[in-house]
Amino acid sequence: MEAPPPPLKNAGPGEDCDGGLGLLGVLLGEWRGLTRLGAFMLITLATAARRHRDNSQVMRPQVLGEIHRCGVRLLPIVGFLGVILGVVFVGQTVSLMEQFGAGPFTGTLIVSVFLREMAPMTAGLLVLARVGTASVVELGTARALGEVEALEALGIDPIHYLVVPRVVGFAVAVVSLSAYLILISLVSGYAFAYARGLKASPIEFFTQIAGAMSLLDFPLWVLKTLLFGALTGWVICYQGLARPMTLEEVGPATTRTVAVCVVGCLMLDALFITVYLLL
Amino acid sequence: MKTPRSTSVALETRSLGIVRPTATDEVSLQAVDWTVATGELWVVAGAQGTGKTALLETLAGLIPAAAGEVRVFGRRVDASGDDDAGLRETRRRLGLVFDGSGRLFSALSVSENILLPWCYHQNRSHAEALRELEPLIRHLQLESLLSRMPASLSRSWSRRVALARCLVLKPDLLLLDNPLAGLDAVHLRWWRGFLTEALAGHPLFGGEPLTIVAAADAVRPYVGLDPRFALVAGGHWRILSDIEAVFATTGEDGFRDSTEPRP
Repeated sequence: MEAPPPPLKNAGPGEDCDGGLGLLGVLLGEWRGLTRLGAFMLITLATAARRHRDNSQVMRPQVLGEIHRCGVRLLPIVGFLGVILGVVFVGQTVSLMEQFGAGPFTGTLIVSVFLREMAPMTAGLLVLARVGTASVVELGTARALGEVEALEALGIDPIHYLVVPRVVGFAVAVVSLSAYLILISLVSGYAFAYARGLKASPIEFFTQIAGAMSLLDFPLWVLKTLLFGALTGWVICYQGLARPMTLEEVGPATTRTVAVCVVGCLMLDALFITVYLLL
Repeated sequence: MKTPRSTSVALETRSLGIVRPTATDEVSLQAVDWTVATGELWVVAGAQGTGKTALLETLAGLIPAAAGEVRVFGRRVDASGDDDAGLRETRRRLGLVFDGSGRLFSALSVSENILLPWCYHQNRSHAEALRELEPLIRHLQLESLLSRMPASLSRSWSRRVALARCLVLKPDLLLLDNPLAGLDAVHLRWWRGFLTEALAGHPLFGGEPLTIVAAADAVRPYVGLDPRFALVAGGHWRILSDIEAVFATTGEDGFRDSTEPRP
């Protein structure tokens, strides 16, 4: 039998800080917010691990619905963006490297800058902008109208019912959309470079890129994109749900979510750059 | 599977102190000593803002008690109570219908709202649950509203949908927050009929007579239902013998607005 849902009465980042302490107070407030977000993540992970088989008739459609909302519905815009990025970044880079006689280094450059950094970040930010902001409004409004308490009163764990599907949906979506974006960008980039006089055949082009990747690139790339998505999902749910809210606070919570997600993903990215440099 | 009732006491509070969720450092109601026997209808009367909703939410386990203890069917359900499994199981025997429009889930349709608790706890698909709960939905006259969204419903119908959402779990103890407030004559008659039916026991509501606690800011609509009365005023809890005692305490016009200048 499951445990009762944890109380959702935490304050957001930056709150509870003593105004009199100035900068120290702000830093202390941010630190408290971070620890609360960390605790929220752990609770979500524990709930997902403990109850992944429970209530499948309700939870499976919930998770699939989130994957559809965050991933499948964004395929057209990600495809469009992939073509643009392919032409603007991949195509031009390949073309210029060829002109400067640096063709053999093209693969390394594309892998280091585009595959590892640009594509996951672009996909993550796009999911945040298109679905994340709407999700904060949706959750924040539900919180402000007392619908979360109504769930609890019916014995439905809000972490299990609302948070876990969103975190899974965002994580799966960012991984899949990053891969899709890379594929589209490489194909369109090659087409652009070929039109500008690139001599390499498609097989040579893709072999060069594959050759610039190490074996560790695959698990690290999946982990990184997965964490981008999961972090976005966690921050969204935390900002929307984790404390009592009024309708007036939904707007500020949304802008705060965008700021926290962008900073969080950049910090995560910096961590992965360190890992890549050490390997 | 429900555990059979082992006691005739449905709800018991001892020295219970209540705080509001918006002001957790201020006790809004204290020393609530109360025993509700199974099958009884209690009306907790009080003016708006006296802490009736906070009392119901504390009994439902949504707000931690500031002091004292709450027992539902003999099992302690406040924060320092029983093991998690038993706590959840006991809380499932208690249903809460919120004030106003009943806090329906605005992103879900009426049928999804009603069926969600049943689907979640019994692991049923929407279609299976609809088949199983159709008699209850028909009995509550909600079959024509199933595809509507909550925002398109009037407050009276929303409240009835919220009641249905609560009844699908077949609770033994029903907490209703101001259920008869602001209803037209038709809905009022229906709700009074429902209360009579539920107190007598109905196969669609689990068979056994339900125990009902209703918070109310007007007591006249309950005349004829033979309830027991408790009064919440000035942060204190009083059990009154009958409706005449309520009127004697509050005046015939009901509860005074606390912001109104006193004569």
